[in-house]
Parts: sequence; structure tokens; C-alpha cells
Amino acid sequence: MGAEGRALARDPQPKPGRFGGKSLYTIAIYVILIVAVFISLLPFGYVVSTSFKSTMSLFSYPPDWLPENPTLDNYRNLLNRYPFWRWLFNSFVVAGSVTAIKLVVDSMAGYAFAKMRFPGRDALFLVVLMSLMVPFAALLIPTFIIIRELGMLNTYWGLILPGLASPIGVFMMRQFIESLPSDLENAARLDGCSEFQIYRRVILPLIKPGLVVLGVFTFMTQWTSYLWPLVVVTKPEMATLTVGVRSLTSTFTQDWGLNSAAAILSMLPTILVFIFLQRYFIAGSIAGALKE
Amino acid sequence: MQEQAVTQTTRPRALALSEEEHQRLQRRYQRRRSLTAYLFLLPGAIFFFAFLVIPILLLFFYTFNNGGIISEREWVGLANWRNVLRDDLVITAIKNTVVYCLMAIPAVFVISMVLALVLQQAARGGSAFRSLLYIPTLAPYVVAALLWQFVVHRDFGILNMILVEFGQEPRNWLGSPDLALRSITMLEVWRGVGFWTLLFLAGLIGLPKELYQAAAIDGANAWQRFRYLTIPLMRPTFFFAVVMATIWNLQLFDSVSILTNGGPQNSTVTVVWYIQQTTFAYTDKVGFGAALSFMLLLLILFLALIEIRLLRKR
Repeated sequence: MGAEGRALARDPQPKPGRFGGKSLYTIAIYVILIVAVFISLLPFGYVVSTSFKSTMSLFSYPPDWLPENPTLDNYRNLLNRYPFWRWLFNSFVVAGSVTAIKLVVDSMAGYAFAKMRFPGRDALFLVVLMSLMVPFAALLIPTFIIIRELGMLNTYWGLILPGLASPIGVFMMRQFIESLPSDLENAARLDGCSEFQIYRRVILPLIKPGLVVLGVFTFMTQWTSYLWPLVVVTKPEMATLTVGVRSLTSTFTQDWGLNSAAAILSMLPTILVFIFLQRYFIAGSIAGALKE
Repeated sequence: MQEQAVTQTTRPRALALSEEEHQRLQRRYQRRRSLTAYLFLLPGAIFFFAFLVIPILLLFFYTFNNGGIISEREWVGLANWRNVLRDDLVITAIKNTVVYCLMAIPAVFVISMVLALVLQQAARGGSAFRSLLYIPTLAPYVVAALLWQFVVHRDFGILNMILVEFGQEPRNWLGSPDLALRSITMLEVWRGVGFWTLLFLAGLIGLPKELYQAAAIDGANAWQRFRYLTIPLMRPTFFFAVVMATIWNLQLFDSVSILTNGGPQNSTVTVVWYIQQTTFAYTDKVGFGAALSFMLLLLILFLALIEIRLLRKR
């Protein structure tokens, strides 16, 4: 959010009793934040530690926070005995494809809703708003039947296509594009640009932050999706990460070290993506999407 | 690009059009523009129809049938609806799901709002704290649920270690019927805080600064500014958050499926879990699952519309 946001964030009223009051206040703020971050991250620390423990030392009591003899056995096990790379690849293909297709399709629809005038526009947009309320989980059965009729069980398309129906992206893109001044597109129109050229050359570059927000949101939703892959995939080699990691646990036994290693490895890509893009993601751009 | 515009907009001067001709051209232009708009909507509309509109219609059709996934489909009339309304587990599932929402949504909103306000006050390091707080949200449920087992595990979970440290009896967080749903709620709150904090913070940053300055000049204290400025001004954000949280949380499935699988003694059976079980897990009660799905759809629409009603007015 940078300097502007920080200036806004500061309390406009100077605190009375400058020294004592103010510093106590600041200390309280950071104590709350540190406690919150500690609670957020504590379980991760425990899992990282467990992923380096040997199976024998897992159940020592009282449990220790740091592994006594750190070992990479769990990671070796996971990568040698299970098709972990394949799961990772599948998740990337699915989440990547859904994100790429949705960015194009939703920004096009958003542009039409935001800037074009055509009969039935408001009625159609109302349909989009209403459909935000449709829970995907309730459409599990008919979606499964449609995908099966299309012969797409255990295929990438079967995993990808249902994710493309979600209307939230159209809604977000419309809000973003509507906030752009119309002068730029009108200038381009006078230059003889076609609507597609305006979309491609004027609108898309201007809504880059919005595209990043929608892209990260879509990618994360797909990356963490569990219910749909669980239903549509029965072959182990088509499993996505979530289903694959889950399959490591049989009903009666649980190899905690192995599961922890899998948890860490399957989260690494999302954390990397997030760190790389968080500048955009947090830039308050969501606020733009929320304005009514 | 703009310089170009100037040179190219020199129009041909003698372009005398009759009124009729003018209108005809304008209509043609309007038609062309509408057509372009529809073309822009077309790709999205295809997916929207194929995987949202048609599934809803198909779902409604399947509530009057049975079979269709493993066995042959057959028409059974209203039997599924009758069975769903008579099924005790359906009542339990709806009750659990609603109780969960009533615990989770207020908890996560209060915590997130407090953290958003605190983050807004943090002059330094705010962005680092924000990113760290967001990390739990990045965990897929499969991972989050695994992490949570380390927290609530009976023998070596963090929570019980703390309890023992304070001289309390360790508890069976996932194994006892009165604690299991609460443990699930804690997980969901833990995972959701980052997301909602970010959303509320984005809303707070967008508030008009001048009003706060005016209020401060008028001598309003921090609490008054919060009560009479922040809360009313945040209404659009809260409005969106409450509706979306209701829609999402009523679909609770992943964590339940992984941590408790509905148990112990059906204390964590949720609506979506029951749909998944009846349809895909070991039975082939597709029609029953479809009727239950349709009920979920109606329940969510109903609650969302009530919330929209309540929050829009006032």
C-alpha cells in the first residue's frame, strides 16, 4: 500500500500525554500483533519440526519442539515412494489453466458490463449477482454427471471446466473496470481502435492490479480445492496435491513425519507465489472490488 | 497515442445527411455495438450455462429420480423429498452446520476486525505482519487439517500440552461429541482470520480521511469515532463479508471430512458432508443427495436474501 496508505493509517489526532500514553499504546499494538502472528504460525513450526523427525522419536512424551536427530528420511520417502511430483504437476496444470482462462474470459465480460451499453445489460448483471449465492457444493451431483457424459472423468478438462463457471471474477472485473475513466477508451475509439483493441491495449494494462488480485484468488482457490478433485478423479496419477496428500493417510495408521513433509512441500509453491505477488495483492485493490 | 488522436479527428466537413439517413446509421451503429458486447460476454456465458445454469436445472430434475451414477436412473416422484424431510441425520446436519456458522462467523469477524484496526495503527512493519497473518489462509484444507491435528491431538497436541502445563486435565478435542465441532470451528477461525483481516483492512484504508479529522476537531474520542464513523462507513464491506461468509461457511466440508469424518456420534455431520457421503462414498442415493443439495441451495439463497434485506435497510 506504500506511503499513501500509511499516511491514512496514522491516527489523525495527536495523543495527549505524548510520552507515556503514546508509547504504551504502541507497545500494546505490537504485542497484539505478535501474539496473533505467533498463534497463526505456531502449528506450522510444529509441522516443520515433525517433518525432520525420525519415526521413532515422533511419539516421545513429552513431545519435543526440535528434532533430536534431524533427518531427511520423510522427504526422501515421500518423493521416492509416492508420485508427489506428478500431483504437484497436476495441481499446477489445473490451477494454472483455470486462472489463465478465467482472467481472459472474466475481464472481457467485465469490460462489456462496465463500459458497453446493450439491451438486457442490467438484467444479465443481476443474474451474475444472484449466481454468486449458488454454492458449488450443491451442484456436485449434476456437475459430476455432466463431466461423465462428456467423458472427462480422470482428465485435466474434467478438473478444469467446472472451475470456470464461478461468477465472482466477472463481478470483480466489472467493479475494477467501471472505476476507470472513460476518456482513455474514448480517445482510443476516436483513433479508430476496435472494441477488441481497446480491451487489449487500453483496458488490460490499466487493470493489472485487479488482474493480479483475481489471478491470485483464483489460483489459490483451485490449488486448495479438495471436494471436486476427490469426486472426479479415481486414478492416482490424475490426483491433485490435495487429494494425493490426503491419500497418504490410511484410515487406521498415520505416518506423521511423512504427512508433515508432504504438507510443507505442498504449501511451498503457494507461499512463494504469495510472497512474490503480495505487493499487488495487499495493495488495497480488494477494496476497489467491494465498492458497490 | 493522444497526439495521433488530434491529427486524425479532422472530420470531412461536407457530410450532409438527411434526418432519416442519420437515424438509420445510428441504429446500425447501436446494433453493431450491442453485438460486440454480446461477443465479449459469449465465452463467459458458455461456461456459466454449461456449469452453473444447466447443473441447477439438472439438479432439480434429479431430485425426482434415483440412481444415475452407478445404477440406472429411475423416476421416483416426490419420494426423495419425503425422505429428506423425514431423515433425522438431515436435521442433525442442518443443526450442526448452522451452529457452526453461528460460532465461526462472529468469532472470525470480531478477531479480524480487531486485528485490522490494530494493523491500521501500526506505523512500522504493518505489511510484514499482514503477510504473516495471511499464511494460514494459504494452507489447503488438507494441510490445515493436518496442522490442526498437531494442535488438538490427544497425546501430543499443543493445546493439551498447554492445558497440562497449567495443571488441567488433557481433553479429547476431536474424540468427544461436545468438543469436536468446536475444534473444527477453531480450525476454521484460525484459517480464516488472515483473509478477513486483509479484507477489513482494505475497507478501513478506503474510508474518507477528512471525516475523521473533522470528528477529531469536534472532540470525538477514539471510541466515538469508531462507533459513529468507522462502523457506519464500513457497512458496504460488512455487508459483502457477512453474505459471502454465510455462503461459504454453510458449505463446510473439507475440514470435517479430513479431521472427524462426521463423528463422533454424528456431532460433526454437516450438510455437504452428508451429500458427499450419500452420493459418492458408499451408497448410491443420488436422488436423496440431490434433494439435500437443492435444500442447501434454497437454505443459502434464503439466508443470503434475508441478510441482504436486513443490511441494506436501516
